[in-house]
Amino acid sequence: MTTKNAAIAQLVPAEAYPPLLSPLQRRQAMAKLRSAETIAKASRILAARAAELRDAVLELVAQFEEAMAVADWPMVYSATHEIRGLAATAGLGATGRIANVFCHYLDAVAQLGLAPETAIAKVHLNALVRSARTEDDTARHGDMVAQELSALVARKLAELKDSSTMRDGLRDGAA
Amino acid sequence: MSGGAFDHLKALIVEDNQHMRTLLRSLLNALGITLVFEATNGEDAFALLRDRQPDLILSDLSMSPMDGLAFAREVRMSRSSPNPYIPIIMVTGHTERHRVEAARDAGVTEVLAKPITAGSLYQRIGEIVDKPRAFVKASNYFGPDRRRLRVDDYSGPFRRREDFENDLSVE
Repeated sequence: MTTKNAAIAQLVPAEAYPPLLSPLQRRQAMAKLRSAETIAKASRILAARAAELRDAVLELVAQFEEAMAVADWPMVYSATHEIRGLAATAGLGATGRIANVFCHYLDAVAQLGLAPETAIAKVHLNALVRSARTEDDTARHGDMVAQELSALVARKLAELKDSSTMRDGLRDGAA
Repeated sequence: MSGGAFDHLKALIVEDNQHMRTLLRSLLNALGITLVFEATNGEDAFALLRDRQPDLILSDLSMSPMDGLAFAREVRMSRSSPNPYIPIIMVTGHTERHRVEAARDAGVTEVLAKPITAGSLYQRIGEIVDKPRAFVKASNYFGPDRRRLRVDDYSGPFRRREDFENDLSVE
């Protein structure tokens, strides 16, 4: 390694710029952040907003449905990620897990340079709609659906990767 | 009850989802941070950063017209940035590895994956408060030092000026 490389980057220590809090305030802040009372208060706030967030998730599911109807994949992608982000906080854990499986699928096909398959998207849409529109006592079924979808997506992605590798091999062979 | 240490801090929330903005504001209020500004995209947020001078930022990733990554880069690298050292917590539902790495490369201080919990948000704020990060200044990057651990027996290449300050024999 050379001194030429050393000149590329320079470190500014934390003490060289204004601190967010004084040492005393820092100790007080950490005590507050770690206090059971603070966490309990915040958890109550989250619980109080669960119904409102659930409505928001339902709105997003409706957006997802509309986007699917016109094959608007960027909107499908955006709505799915928003659902994944909000659902668990809204008390819709299974919905969040289903959205998570679909996000994984969308990102994986995008990385392979492929478009999502409508059939796969529809299966997830149906599962999301049912899961989000039913109450928590059905969450176990939602979890089972999430697991089955996860297996389906894994199988589908393996097929896509295999065919992508085969295409690359044929192209390399031809060249 | 007084928030004590957090009373005088000002926060900026950059998030296009109104429900998430409200939620984050409530969680900050619970800590005692009552002065909270809101923007729905990076462009508006940058204007608020200049005008209101917040002390920390919670930012979403996907927004339009300026997303969270472009906003973070603007905060860190722009000549007109009023505070390039401000802590930025990126709150995002996009948790794929390449996106987290992009956030890190844009100069984000902490990444918080949605769905958020009070514990996860407060843990990230605790990191910012308790362990302020050194910054790295390079031709194509300005932001928090991405090395979180100091490893005494590190055997890899050294590339930073301070790695050489006490060892003039290195070539």
